[in-house]
Amino acid sequence: MAILKPFEENAEEPCLVAQDLEKSYPSAEKPAIDALSLSVHAGEIFGLLGPNGAGKTTAISVMTGLLRPDAGAVHICGIDLFKRSKAARKFFGLVPQEIALYPNLTARENLRYFGRLYGLKGKQLKERVAESLSIVGLSDRAHQRIRTFSGGMKRRANLSAGLLHSPRLLFLDEPTVGIDAQSRNMILERLLEMREKGVAMIYTTHYMEEAQTLCSRIAVMDGGRIVAHGSPADLLRGYPECRDLGALFLHLTGKRLRD
Amino acid sequence: MMKLFSTVYKELLLLFRDRAGLLVLFLMPAALVIIVSLVQENVLKTTGEIDVQVVLADRDRGAVGDAIRKGLAEAGAMEIVEAGRGPDGGPGAGLDRDGKADDAAVEKAVAHGDAQVGIIIPAGLTRNMQARIDAQIEAAFAGKPASEAENVSLPELRLYFDPLAQGSFRSAIVNAIHRIILMMEMEMKAGAFTGAVRSFVPEMSDDWGSGRLLDLRVERTGRGGVEKLPTSVQQNVPAWALFGMFFIVVPLSGALIREREDGTQTRLLTLPVSYGILLMGKVIAYVFICLVQFGIILLIGIYVLPLMGTPVLEIGSSPEAVAVIVLSAALAASGYGIAIGVFSGTYEQASMFGPVSIVIAAALGGIMVPVYVMPETMREISRFSPLAWGLNGLTELFVREGDLISVLPEIAYLLLFAAGMLGAAWIGFSRRRRF
Repeated sequence: MAILKPFEENAEEPCLVAQDLEKSYPSAEKPAIDALSLSVHAGEIFGLLGPNGAGKTTAISVMTGLLRPDAGAVHICGIDLFKRSKAARKFFGLVPQEIALYPNLTARENLRYFGRLYGLKGKQLKERVAESLSIVGLSDRAHQRIRTFSGGMKRRANLSAGLLHSPRLLFLDEPTVGIDAQSRNMILERLLEMREKGVAMIYTTHYMEEAQTLCSRIAVMDGGRIVAHGSPADLLRGYPECRDLGALFLHLTGKRLRD
Repeated sequence: MMKLFSTVYKELLLLFRDRAGLLVLFLMPAALVIIVSLVQENVLKTTGEIDVQVVLADRDRGAVGDAIRKGLAEAGAMEIVEAGRGPDGGPGAGLDRDGKADDAAVEKAVAHGDAQVGIIIPAGLTRNMQARIDAQIEAAFAGKPASEAENVSLPELRLYFDPLAQGSFRSAIVNAIHRIILMMEMEMKAGAFTGAVRSFVPEMSDDWGSGRLLDLRVERTGRGGVEKLPTSVQQNVPAWALFGMFFIVVPLSGALIREREDGTQTRLLTLPVSYGILLMGKVIAYVFICLVQFGIILLIGIYVLPLMGTPVLEIGSSPEAVAVIVLSAALAASGYGIAIGVFSGTYEQASMFGPVSIVIAAALGGIMVPVYVMPETMREISRFSPLAWGLNGLTELFVREGDLISVLPEIAYLLLFAAGMLGAAWIGFSRRRRF
């Protein structure tokens, strides 16, 4: 498989279009996501915010094809995810909340394996593995097993696995949770660089200042629905009593504990 | 294809780096096969299922000793060691070195398990027997009661048994000695009778006493007239190799569950590759491990166990059939491991249920106790154990000289089991993804 080219060729077409997604779990009283629609364009970081149980992870699972929705459609770079899933999967990468790597393989071995599953091989694979590790500052630790890594290094390695095939769309599920300030800063810098290169991103986080700095647009979810949507600046303008995104978030979703 | 090979390579790499898993997969069955074969070798000796050593202290040096030697040799499966000499002509274990074995030395040798049976033929036994027969004949012709012959003392043959020898084995040996003595008595009485009547019937021959009235023919049931019981090695090598192969359910199901728990499966499911290919890669890797496992255990049976005094493993005359049945068993084991990995909620569940179910299937399948000694109900249940199918097939090939055709049913059962497990796992996996 050839590495996907930069996105400017189809800049007008959204990288992700989700239309009227609905998903209910058996035995659940309310739907996990309800009438969820969104679109993300190239070079855009779309923040998906919400309290625990709001439906963010279900939304990402449906938009990446991990779960089949009860209703609605998802198109990745114009390809129907549920009709041509294999073709659509070539265009996006996922950075799960868990460190989704084999602890007993080295960073390089992990990336080589995932790279081959993306269809990369030979020199191209070698170069992409080296570049992905370099992006997250792990080139000199490539030979070490993941289980020997610190929390921050694991998070960076997790991110590098999502970048291997130069995706046009990247799903990032809380990629900076539980790591030191340096690793977090590095990850955010790299994400901004990728945004500049035209990569579209869906980003979930509980760190509001992170979302405010990073995201072009934000959707606040609660109870499976989007309750507010817009750029951080527009959202704050709509709620002048909220001095920042954190205050706005509590204003929209309430202070009741959700666990 | 590259995606498949990459997955196989990754699985093997992960396995080779999992030392605990390697111990379970390779060391455990190897240790089991060595220990159980050696233990069973001794058990088989005490039950007479394999060659037993009979130590014979013949102080009579007469016809009785010769008849016992000949009779036991004809019975087969016995190695007669003359007291004071070992099988190689050297001093016998537990016996005195000057060749004058006393009763205590014979008893000691048997008690220590150096021999399973001891026979002491006292000096003058043949002479005493002949004297009693002559007295009996003389009394009979003189019209005197048989008790007239009682003044000649009753000769006594003494037998010793290994304390571990089982009842049926003791009975068989005692009956064999009785039969030999009865035949001797018959021949000696016939000879004495003929001598007594020869003055009336000069042409009478004395060999009528040894003429057979009925012959007993033992038919061979094995193919090509070969009938052999499995040796301890032929029983244990395939049995424990199969047991070890099925133990791959632990690392295999564990690998699946770990992938699910640590999110790796989530990543894999978003890649442009069918999850079926990834599962197939796992199956191929673990089937390969099973084949290596079996090969190692086979080599232990052929080269290592004989160094410890067991027979050499004989694998029959159809190695291609052995390969097919081992491959089928490996597929069945891998399919079972995949199913456990899919249906278990946690690693703890799989690591408990997997081994326990294998131990139960092994017990039912005749791995630990042969199926034929089980009660009828258990024998019926054992038909449903994949380990029984594998063991039956391999026993058929190793012991009964079977071929590919004769083990086709076992191969079919194993492959159907593998397909059933993989199919069930796929359905379970698909249902989980839908929700």
